Amino acid sequence: MSEIKPSEAASTDDSAEETDWAAAKAFFDNLKTYKPRPPKPRYAVTIAVSSRTLFNMVAERKIYEDEGLEKYVAYQQEHESEPLKPGAAFPFVKALMTVNTRLRELYPDSEELFDIVLMTNNHAQVGVRLINSINHYDLTIERFCMTGGKSPIGYLKAYMTNLYLSKDAEKVTEAIEEGIAAATMFMPETEAETKLSDTQLRVAFDGDAVLFSDESEIIVKKHGLDSFFEHEKEFENKPLAQGPLKCFLEALGKLQRKFYEKNERMNCPIRTFLVTARSAASSGARVLKTLRSWGLEIDEALFLAGAPKGPLLQKIKPHIFFDDQMFHIEGAKELGTISAHVPYGIGQKYHKGKLIEQPEKKK
Amino acid sequence: MASTVQNTDVKQKDADRAVVVAVTSREVFKSGPDDGGEILEIDESHLLLKLLHRVNERLEEENPEEPLLFDVILITTDSQRQQQSSRIISSTKHYGLEISRFCFASEDDFAESLQTNNVQLFLTTDRNEASQAAQKGVLSALLDQRVAISTSDQLRVMFCEDAVIQPDSGHTPSFAAQMGEMRRRFRLSDSPLSFILVTLHGGRDRCADSLLTLRSSGLSVDEAYCLAGAPRGPILSVLQPHFMISISSSGLEK
Repeated sequence: MSEIKPSEAASTDDSAEETDWAAAKAFFDNLKTYKPRPPKPRYAVTIAVSSRTLFNMVAERKIYEDEGLEKYVAYQQEHESEPLKPGAAFPFVKALMTVNTRLRELYPDSEELFDIVLMTNNHAQVGVRLINSINHYDLTIERFCMTGGKSPIGYLKAYMTNLYLSKDAEKVTEAIEEGIAAATMFMPETEAETKLSDTQLRVAFDGDAVLFSDESEIIVKKHGLDSFFEHEKEFENKPLAQGPLKCFLEALGKLQRKFYEKNERMNCPIRTFLVTARSAASSGARVLKTLRSWGLEIDEALFLAGAPKGPLLQKIKPHIFFDDQMFHIEGAKELGTISAHVPYGIGQKYHKGKLIEQPEKKK
Repeated sequence: MASTVQNTDVKQKDADRAVVVAVTSREVFKSGPDDGGEILEIDESHLLLKLLHRVNERLEEENPEEPLLFDVILITTDSQRQQQSSRIISSTKHYGLEISRFCFASEDDFAESLQTNNVQLFLTTDRNEASQAAQKGVLSALLDQRVAISTSDQLRVMFCEDAVIQPDSGHTPSFAAQMGEMRRRFRLSDSPLSFILVTLHGGRDRCADSLLTLRSSGLSVDEAYCLAGAPRGPILSVLQPHFMISISSSGLEK
């Protein structure tokens, strides 16, 4: 998968880049009311969110589907002073802002921050309502792309995106194929019993086909669990290949270390969780050794040995949980966890252990 | 001395309603050695003419009597080119380009010719030419160098607060109104014409202000990008605008 950020650009591009940067800095420094200025993309951890993940636009979406684009845009324009309600990615975005505040306190001159970009293929006129809604909740989102129907994939790359969240599985799949960490977000079906943390960003990851490649999952699906256990024991010391979210975990780890360096380990506002169906006894070692070989830390590793993930996630209360299998996503949603599906690997061809009959691909 | 000649091969546009766009002959025809041959070699930038023509075609599909069309003038802006007037005319006819008039001017008087020909938009790759025209009160836009290689079949017009060419605040609103009207002849999707707003340095509120200002001038842009200091190069390579019109940011200070 791709590096966290691309290598240095050519020197002529650099000076143009610096001019744009300096002009933006001047703009934000001169604002009458203080607003934190967005970081330099090259150094930031860039999270791109779609409008439907940031805000709840279910009703509006229905208008689009039933009455068409023109009626939908007109509706949005008529209601543009009414703020939209929060969507699935909203708590995650608020948690990112909390981390940024802590980072700015400790490192006032650093550009190593989260940068939140609104990436939508909505029409620009709908954008007015989106901007008004962002203002209503005072979210620190200053960068956006409203592509008026065109694919956002090129812009994801242009912004050096580290993670893309959308409701559209096709766009997410395309992003992953282009080497960008991405996931399709789902609202939980029930209200979580207690609120999510507002002082700590909590991110939960599945292991196989999310942080790691799907190589071991292929063995389970094709040869069964016993073969899988044997294989994992035999290759315990051989690191697994990377999965689509590995670089995002790496980016989180880099920011965590900035807190550790200032003696804030006990009070770190980022906490990561591995929630895997692997068992500690038989197949867990390989996972931990792989992470170690990558130089990555994960705060808590939870081996479920096949038990359902839902109840455990209820206790963890992450702002987002990434898994490649819809079966686990559904289980998490039912019990109130905000889930994000990573459409990668062999898991996409199976549902609850059975091969899905693929319909003829439409031309 | 500048002169204007009609292209008899092309139907003349409505003098009151058409949007007069001037393109320099330098963008359309390659300057080559004066080998005496009649026909000049055409430059890839003539793609722009194709896109303007395509908008006109689609407008006439909706309404065969449509008066609000692009009316393209080909202008020479240096004396050397001015000498090649007959070759320019014959080459234009040879390639069947939809140019209604030719204006043969030199460095000294081209800006005035733009005025006398009621040019509402002057397109050039030359920053100096654009500045000179702007000083005479003609709305000027820089042609993107990449227009030659763009694969888009949609004319993409970008509004941006880059201060390289000082905008003439008098003309932009009325041009925006005409463009808005033209844009409304088409549906939101599948339009041969797309308007893009890019905010390079300001934050989201700056972009929202520009969106609303353009909207109140009569133009609802299709796409909007707020860069807030992010490097413009990578974004513009994806955006692929054909030309860029400068909008004033000074009036929008909070």
